[in-house]
Amino acid sequence: MTFVDLGHGLAHVFQPFDLLMLVTGLLVGMAVSIMPGLGLVMGVILALPFTYRMPIEPSIILLTAIYFSGTYAGCFTAILYRIPGEPMDVPMLWDGHAMAKRGAPAKALGWALVAALIGGLVSSAVMVAIAGPLSSVALSFDSPDYFAAVFFGLTTVVALAGRSLPNAIISLCVGLLVATVGIDSTYGTDRFTFGVPILEDGIQLVAILVGTYGLSEVLTRIGQGLRVSQPNDADRSVATEFPTLSELIAIRITIIRSTILGTLIGIVPGAGATITSFISYGIEKQYGRRRHLLGTGLPEGIVAPQIGATASVAGHMIPLLTLGLPGSGATAVILAAFLLHGVQPGPMLFQDPKSTLLVYTILSSMFVSVIGMCLLGFFWIRVVVKVLKIPQGILSAIVVMFCLVGAYANRNDLADVWMIVFFGILGYLFEKFAFPIAPLVLGAILGPIGEDSFVRSMIASGNDWLVFFKDPISAALMGASALALGYPLLREVLSRRQRQPLPASGGPR
Amino acid sequence: MSVARKCVWIGALLLALVLSAPATPAQARYPDHPIDFIVPWGPGGGADLLARTAGKIMAHDLGASFPVLNVPGATGMVGMTKLLTSPADGYTLAVLIGDTYALLARPRPAFDPKQVIPLAIMIQQPSGYWVSTKSPWKTWPEFVASAKQHPLKVAILGYGSADDITTSYLQTKGLKLTEIPYAKPVLRYTSIIGGHTDLLYEQTGDVRSYFDGGEIRPLILFYPRRLTIPQFKDVPIGTEFGYTVDLPQFRSIVVKAGTPPAIVKLLADELAKVAKTAEWKTYLQSQYADPDSYIPMDGARQFMNAWLDQARKFRALTNMGAR
Repeated sequence: MTFVDLGHGLAHVFQPFDLLMLVTGLLVGMAVSIMPGLGLVMGVILALPFTYRMPIEPSIILLTAIYFSGTYAGCFTAILYRIPGEPMDVPMLWDGHAMAKRGAPAKALGWALVAALIGGLVSSAVMVAIAGPLSSVALSFDSPDYFAAVFFGLTTVVALAGRSLPNAIISLCVGLLVATVGIDSTYGTDRFTFGVPILEDGIQLVAILVGTYGLSEVLTRIGQGLRVSQPNDADRSVATEFPTLSELIAIRITIIRSTILGTLIGIVPGAGATITSFISYGIEKQYGRRRHLLGTGLPEGIVAPQIGATASVAGHMIPLLTLGLPGSGATAVILAAFLLHGVQPGPMLFQDPKSTLLVYTILSSMFVSVIGMCLLGFFWIRVVVKVLKIPQGILSAIVVMFCLVGAYANRNDLADVWMIVFFGILGYLFEKFAFPIAPLVLGAILGPIGEDSFVRSMIASGNDWLVFFKDPISAALMGASALALGYPLLREVLSRRQRQPLPASGGPR
Repeated sequence: MSVARKCVWIGALLLALVLSAPATPAQARYPDHPIDFIVPWGPGGGADLLARTAGKIMAHDLGASFPVLNVPGATGMVGMTKLLTSPADGYTLAVLIGDTYALLARPRPAFDPKQVIPLAIMIQQPSGYWVSTKSPWKTWPEFVASAKQHPLKVAILGYGSADDITTSYLQTKGLKLTEIPYAKPVLRYTSIIGGHTDLLYEQTGDVRSYFDGGEIRPLILFYPRRLTIPQFKDVPIGTEFGYTVDLPQFRSIVVKAGTPPAIVKLLADELAKVAKTAEWKTYLQSQYADPDSYIPMDGARQFMNAWLDQARKFRALTNMGAR
């Protein structure tokens, strides 16, 4: 039975070496995810060579722990310094950073911690229980469903628009355009490469992210003469401040909704923690009770994307274990670790009694990872907050250094460094002329997946545009997209007719 | 301390310094620093596993490490560009696989095969067509009968690939096949297991887990001879149905042309030793590869040229044009 297996697995996790690897993984995950340009995928890749000589259990535990804590620790820098370590931390800027700026960074961090704990634990439990049925759901996802999911993700741009919808759409289009650079994956055509070899593989997401968020932030600060006040009072001892039970109960709908969403989207191959995080925030912005105030520093805006991101980890692990399908960059590396140890994840893994122990050791390590991550995070935050005492000038220099090194380390190519400088300046100009950056990033992340699945849907269906509305999954997602697109427009028209000024939503930028 | 004693000490120190310095400072011995092993694919794939397994065995023998650099992108072209822009000093190796090599058969290829020296073909895996075990087709003739009546969907890597060449060839034989390109392997395998496509073109090792797990079955393989592996010895090969195409997946290890011949020979000899180890045989087994995969340096170039000629010939035959 599942519970007996889980118990055996748990006993395995608490063996000294396995536990040591778990803690190491959590620390590594936190370290890499707070540094822009490194990221959790880089973390698991860097850790992979160390697992060669280990037995398989601690290897997978190590990588899974990095994966889990990597989805969480990035919120520290996003909330405190407005530097997302990873794409998935971007939604954390809007409400998390806003809350920190308002003078409650400890509270913002506390909300993120609780969200990671709930998202991680609940989704792990759900996944252990219903792994089998859910893996067949993942299998039934075809190209039109992928496209519909991506299209829905893109419509959240309306939710992320802030004050100017046209500016947001322009920004989104720039992002989509940037995503087309390189050799297209279907026909192998060169697009906007100008014969430059490094452009053939497209513009690296890392360059876009690190440039538009990390570097442009520093440029903006320099533009303000580095005299910008620190996001919070660094002299005060800032620790994590947990939300009270009544505060938690007040946003219970958000918690339940984001957990379900994160777990479900997680099992879709290709939809990583980033998409989950964005969609989770987008849904909150569309349907949340206090959606008008979202972006001003609401706990919902922190909890929704954080739960989504962490819950997606458990979601991704199940198709990996049951089908051998890695749904994200990190799970692809974990699959590599399995293969290097001569174990092929797949349906066979659950049949052989010997590997059943392995599976349940990994599953139970997920629970231990989530709890350990929150314990470590609680103390780690105190260390991170001390970094606030560093003067702005030095901090900016350190950020720039990490940005440049991170860009270079990705592919060991100096061209990537120039690329992030370019995107840094672009981000700075966007900021200056009130164009939101988030749609650009969203377009660059989702563009290639969307294009790929759209073209494939067209090929498979013989250019039938109705294919997106024939399947229940894609039809439902397209319907949701239509609602997401139509509702805010309708709302705007109505409010104009009533000649009422728009609510100052202080939209995320 | 007397002056004389000081002199003795200083003399001894100088002597020690002289002795510790290498006899001839530059290029004393190859290799004197780590050798980069470029894998033009992401970590965890077959090419990555090859580099790591071979690198580990060679590192033991040569006393230098072989750090693997994963440089994925553009069907392996980005990694090959990195090799071709590195100095030809024997400190950069790369894995060149059939999928990348197939691109050279296209019009305006990105590089000339003469720009690299193949050190060995390390592994050959037969490619073939697979169907879901839930599908009605048990044998290839059964599938052909269906495909001649109504169009069926084939999951392939992309246009211009060996998958495309073989499938286009079958189209000329009257099979109604619609090619659906899935650049990501995961999506390709999901499509066949999830029932979104009817047929999958893939080499044996890559779909091992789904085959072992009873999710898919092979109907036909394209290889010069039937495989000796027990699981595949009953699977027919293309020539049994009169098909002349066979473009097996191969993975070779190459250096840039212009590398000093002595170093080329040293590395090729080293790979010959690697191919004989038990560890390598286990690796081939785990990949469902032909146990007699290894082709030494003197035959490798010929093998690759013949492969490319065949790819070009079938491209011309099937009107693939610019694809």
